[in-house]
Amino acid sequence: MELIFKVNGRTEHLELEGHETLLDVLRDDLRLTGTKEGCREGECGACTVLVNGRAVDSCIYAAMAAHDAEVETVEGLAENGRLNPLQTAFAESGGVQCGFCTPGILMMLTALLNKYPQPGREQVRDALSGNICRCTGYSQIEEAVEKYIAQEQDR
Amino acid sequence: MRFISVSSEEEALAQLNARGDELQILAGGTDLMVQLQQSGPRAQALLHIENIPELQEITCNGETGIGALCTHRQIVESTLLDNYRSLRQAAAQVGGWQTQMVGTIGGNICNASPAADTVPPLLVHDARITLVSQVRGPRVVELEKFLLGRRQTDRRHDELISCINLSRPPERVRDIYIKVGRRSATEVAIVGLAACVSLDEDGKLIKDVRLAVCSVGPVPERLHHIENVIKGQELSEDLLDEAGDMLLKHIKPIDDVRASKKYRSLVAPRILKHAIRSCAQNVSG
Repeated sequence: MELIFKVNGRTEHLELEGHETLLDVLRDDLRLTGTKEGCREGECGACTVLVNGRAVDSCIYAAMAAHDAEVETVEGLAENGRLNPLQTAFAESGGVQCGFCTPGILMMLTALLNKYPQPGREQVRDALSGNICRCTGYSQIEEAVEKYIAQEQDR
Repeated sequence: MRFISVSSEEEALAQLNARGDELQILAGGTDLMVQLQQSGPRAQALLHIENIPELQEITCNGETGIGALCTHRQIVESTLLDNYRSLRQAAAQVGGWQTQMVGTIGGNICNASPAADTVPPLLVHDARITLVSQVRGPRVVELEKFLLGRRQTDRRHDELISCINLSRPPERVRDIYIKVGRRSATEVAIVGLAACVSLDEDGKLIKDVRLAVCSVGPVPERLHHIENVIKGQELSEDLLDEAGDMLLKHIKPIDDVRASKKYRSLVAPRILKHAIRSCAQNVSG
């Protein structure tokens, strides 16, 4: 079965069996290993990517379901080799500790911020309820989002 | 395993009519993709129905109808469902946002999990399911009769759920969904319970009450026999105790990875009482 879709703006053509997960196609076929495999059952959010702007757990999303879609992964966030403002805010606030959950959290927040440019702390927490982080206790992540929002307002 | 993607209800029904017994229907896939990876393919092909626009709408033409492909997130955010708080509360507790963004209400029903969060609220709102077949046309089934057992429904191979209709809530009413889990997010219910209570004009007697539970037996179910005891009565602690005892005698909780039978038996009557009390205290309209 042929899968044609855009990943981070680039059109990809792949031959699949039919029931592969989007996570496996991204990591194994396209070598985009920024997207992490955690629980493989849609519980931890480490594999979160955007499919047509919606944040999905790629470990339980059929790759073929992304046919004709636009997929964005953490590799697509940096602009010209430089971290984007949200990523920079994460680095500056200590929102990244071991880093394993970070790609998924960044993608979830990207989806949230696209829809609600100025989410409150409760909304951020709610949106991240499907992303597990065992290092930061989430505080620095929330601070990173607040820092990002403040910087965007100053622009 | 072949992957067949359709973009209209008509196309989906034609596929189901031609080879329904060889197909597994894939909507958001948040349950099916886990099952596929754990147990391997059980059908020859996946029928991908996620992108059928006519099944993604919430309508309010006298009666509230929810398209089978409405996502949980859509339900949480829809103001058309303001009168169905319990359903929105339940949809907001199905996994994390990632699950809610692609998981559908029709999928939650057809997956027929004993712990399906949206099912108790749908049951207390007398949900009726419209199933469509290319050959026989539509038929309407009460959700209560549609769910036959654990992972078993009354859907025939050539049928697709198109819509879920809800009854109009009475006046002076409040509904609630309470979910008990080990943590507050991304959790499968240890016990889930929906209640819908309406009071009489004086706000004293319970005019109508509807109750439904999940995760305490193979199928989420309405508790008609308990409703009948409460209906027409004045709310009291004795009445709530009686309801709690009746629930305990009725349910068949099991020991599993999430909780013990003992814990479920302790918590179920308590949330039943809490739900009824909370609804009665907060009736509006």
